[in-house]
Amino acid sequence: MGMEDDIQKDFLAESRENMELLDQQFVELESEPDNAELIKSIFRTIHTIKGTSGFFGFNTLEGIAHFAEDILSKLRDGIVAVNEKITTVLLQAVDHINAILASLEQTGKEPDELEHLDFIVELRDFAEKLETSRDTTPDQKGGSPEGTKTNETDASAQAGPEDENPTQCPAKSRKDETSGESEKTDLPGEKVSPVSGQEPKAEKPERSSSPTTYKASDMKQGFGRTPQLTESHIRVDVNLLDRLMNLAGELVLSRNRMVQIAGQLNNQELLQANQRMSLVVTEMQEQIMQTRMQPVGNVFNKFPRIVRDLARQAKKQVQLRIEGAETELDRSIIEIIKDPITHMVRNSIDHGIEKPDTRTANGKPPGGTLTMRAYHEGGQVIIEIEDDGAGIDAQIIRRKAVDKGVLGEVQAEALSDRDALLLIFQAGFSTAEQVTNISGRGVGMDVVKSNIEKLGGAVDIQSRIGRGTTVRIKIPLTLAIIPALIVNTAGQRYAIPQVNLVELFRLSDESVERNIQIVGGSEYYRLRGQILPLIRLRRVLGLKEKEPRNGLNIVVLNNGDKNFGLVVDGINDSEEIVVKPLGSHLKHIDCYAGTTLMGDGRVALILDVVGMTAALNLQSDKPMERSLSQEESIVTAEERQFILLFSVGPEEYFAIPLALVSRLDKITPDDLEMVSGQEVIQYRGRSIPVIRLENYLPISPLPEQDEYHLIVFHLNDKDIACLVSGIDDSLDMAVEVEEQMFRQEGIVGSAIINDHTTLFLDIYQIIELHDPSFFSGSCHETRVGRILLAEDSTFYRNLLSSYMVAAGYDVVVAEDGRQGWEKFKQEEIDLVITDIEMPHMDGLELTRKIRSHEVNSDVPVIAVTSLTGDSHRQRGLEAGINDYQMKLDRERVLSSVHELMDT
Amino acid sequence: MGSQSDFPIEQQSDAKEKSVAFQNEDTAHFVTFYFAEHFFGLPISEVVEINRSLEITPVPLAQPYVAGIVNLRGQIITAVNLARRIELAMNTESVDEFEYHNVILGRHNEPVSLLAERIGDVVEIPVSQIEPPPSLIEGMKVEYIKHVCKLPGQLLIILDGDSLQRPDTADTGEPDTSTSPAVN
Repeated sequence: MGMEDDIQKDFLAESRENMELLDQQFVELESEPDNAELIKSIFRTIHTIKGTSGFFGFNTLEGIAHFAEDILSKLRDGIVAVNEKITTVLLQAVDHINAILASLEQTGKEPDELEHLDFIVELRDFAEKLETSRDTTPDQKGGSPEGTKTNETDASAQAGPEDENPTQCPAKSRKDETSGESEKTDLPGEKVSPVSGQEPKAEKPERSSSPTTYKASDMKQGFGRTPQLTESHIRVDVNLLDRLMNLAGELVLSRNRMVQIAGQLNNQELLQANQRMSLVVTEMQEQIMQTRMQPVGNVFNKFPRIVRDLARQAKKQVQLRIEGAETELDRSIIEIIKDPITHMVRNSIDHGIEKPDTRTANGKPPGGTLTMRAYHEGGQVIIEIEDDGAGIDAQIIRRKAVDKGVLGEVQAEALSDRDALLLIFQAGFSTAEQVTNISGRGVGMDVVKSNIEKLGGAVDIQSRIGRGTTVRIKIPLTLAIIPALIVNTAGQRYAIPQVNLVELFRLSDESVERNIQIVGGSEYYRLRGQILPLIRLRRVLGLKEKEPRNGLNIVVLNNGDKNFGLVVDGINDSEEIVVKPLGSHLKHIDCYAGTTLMGDGRVALILDVVGMTAALNLQSDKPMERSLSQEESIVTAEERQFILLFSVGPEEYFAIPLALVSRLDKITPDDLEMVSGQEVIQYRGRSIPVIRLENYLPISPLPEQDEYHLIVFHLNDKDIACLVSGIDDSLDMAVEVEEQMFRQEGIVGSAIINDHTTLFLDIYQIIELHDPSFFSGSCHETRVGRILLAEDSTFYRNLLSSYMVAAGYDVVVAEDGRQGWEKFKQEEIDLVITDIEMPHMDGLELTRKIRSHEVNSDVPVIAVTSLTGDSHRQRGLEAGINDYQMKLDRERVLSSVHELMDT
Repeated sequence: MGSQSDFPIEQQSDAKEKSVAFQNEDTAHFVTFYFAEHFFGLPISEVVEINRSLEITPVPLAQPYVAGIVNLRGQIITAVNLARRIELAMNTESVDEFEYHNVILGRHNEPVSLLAERIGDVVEIPVSQIEPPPSLIEGMKVEYIKHVCKLPGQLLIILDGDSLQRPDTADTGEPDTSTSPAVN
């Protein structure tokens, strides 16, 4: 029983393999109808299936194989010549055989479906008709005499062994349903003697004139495979190989430990023995790795058939060229790239290659060429899908993008052709004028891209109108072993795949303070003039922020789209790591790509750079970054602020500190919705209230525009947005604000910027005017306490003081440290808020004085600055400052005040 | 690598045959272990092996019941904190500070390591004494409990290996090829 099971399994596996080969061979046969070797090879495959299925008693399978063999024998013997009809029927037979094999594999039984039986009848009829039809349809094909000749000679030479059918005659072993029919036909093909000179037949001119580009070696390999396989190949369960890989990894670790011990013992003999073992183990690991490599041809070889079917469906003529099928790739990668490649091939045939008449009209050959190419480049494998079709018109893509609301018109126009092409990888794009059942609705290219990026690969597209399109996929050789950078954070090691790595650098405390800017809650660093967003790994992983720091280690990574800096505690080393998948309990976490074993036998997580940024929602806030990169003046630690300038209507200019802005966006009037009398927009599935400034300020109303700008604030854990006409500029300036001229709720003051009178908004007040309950629940309970506020800038002094007053505190203001110190001595103060940089006496000095005061030395002190930096913080803490806040972050300042007041 | 088994439970057929034989006499074998004062058991057929504490690598952002990942002879498996998994009410607050033992489950699917505080004996119990769990057991989630058995002096809580192993997340994904047992 077990024995038979094993044989059956072998049979299935072998048949599967052969069937894959068949697909390819049939398509080849169409373009080379005279290739006798090819026909014989196909015949042999079918013949083997027939024989073996008879042995196991798979009647349906045997029936189909039998009649397919019938047709093939006629081809082989030159009774009929290959034509499209025959190929189609034979391919159908292959499909049925595949379906039955699949069912056998799953259930161990043949499927009961009638369609297979129906097909047997059809196939038999076809086989019978073939003989008679050859006389009636000679006009269908023209012919090449040489080909026929070789065909015949080969056929007669081969006829002997092939004709001797195996002992189990199918007609006898087949019972039930097929028996009746089979007796009638009884292997007619083999009995008809070859008729010579009968077929001056060949293929359609364009087919035979364009030779396929399978290399001769591929052919040989293909044909020789069946007999060779049994001698030199065995089938191994893939799981077994995986386990072997695991164990080899473990062996390497054990070896490392041994080498360590031998070194400690300093035993020469042991060291030598170890060295020998090291070599063997390393080599063994390499060999085991090798077992996972497969030629990419395993995927490519499925395409002749797919291309043929698709081309027929689309009524186009497509010739497939395959190059570099022998390029080797890891088994797991091959499996993953299959679908993306299929998708792109479909796209090429459906959208790329034109109909024959269009092509002819454009002076191209009627048949298009699709090239699939694989090769190694720089330790990676490149796969290219190239067509000579119509190309992609960037202008059409732009228009589509605007129509579909993916981009605004201005944005779309600003895109380079290259960037516009990349839009097809976004969800919801389909450029075909008509959606066909081949390419679907443009869903997919985005999936293609994300699937490939998940592998650590990249997709690129190049296209020339009228000349064709090339899609280029870059993928790593193997997923199993990758070079990685090991970093550590919070006492654990993490591996970062080297493909994502751009560079490493380290910032001293001083440089951290000077060069890291905080905008809208995110940190940015200027690296050689480029703005680099910084992400702290501890924050990403939800770990505690590190308290004392000693410079920053920054790993610059690329997520396939843009660079960003990952702040880690430490950088260890570069290593080749063995990637192991995450268990099902952890798979859902986007930040991890897998796990790996480190040299000491401990486990480390592999970070998923793409997933990590997706989780963080790292968006390209272009205006925000531009604002940072455009700012010309050198940033000093003093009272300079990034100011965002915007306008409402043609004449109303406003400014707000950029630090308060969480995001800038553009919307069209259609995006605005009215919900219970309030304007909102939908953003990431949530409704954000929209404020029109003219409702709260005496200004002209926002004119009707095709597109509005949106300034989004994230305050009190809620989003709220301001609708404005345009974002004009952003600059880094020393804030000199005139507070007297415009005394108005919602306005802090005014200044002349770029020759315009510009109003500085108090966005907190405006939001409160719009929604009095917006800030409730966080910091609006009335408080008691007297706060000393020492701040030399009138603007900030008034701003901060207004926050404190609004929160219910008494505020005593001082214009510098010295005045502050005087007032501190005179009045009863519960808490001090001080600027650091002030004339006469700075905030640190003030703090030190307070700390040495005989009575009130324990009054809490909060320091505020416009820029945060760590050495400040350090010095501040040393001077006795309790907390450190950014001036403009009202919420943080207030919560810090509440907290310190309460203690 | 500290992965010597305390109680290597043979995976070979003789172990299976034995348990089958006992079942014929209407008894079943359970691997037992303790967490706080509670006494737990798992059918011996579900337990692969028991290991003294393997080094656990924490996984930030994972579900609270995931203690981390451990290396079991080259295979990386998820360590599940039993107390957190079944939401065990504990007298001690320091659920995470024990020296754990790893009870490796998963003869049939992806293995996980169940962290237990103390390992007990393998007990043989007449099948007739095994009862369905009451609808409520104070201090733990009943969905992870398959049966209970009243032993002299204590209640043996027989856990449901499958539901302990099943991930909590909505997207369970396909089983990993490398961790699922070979299909032969």
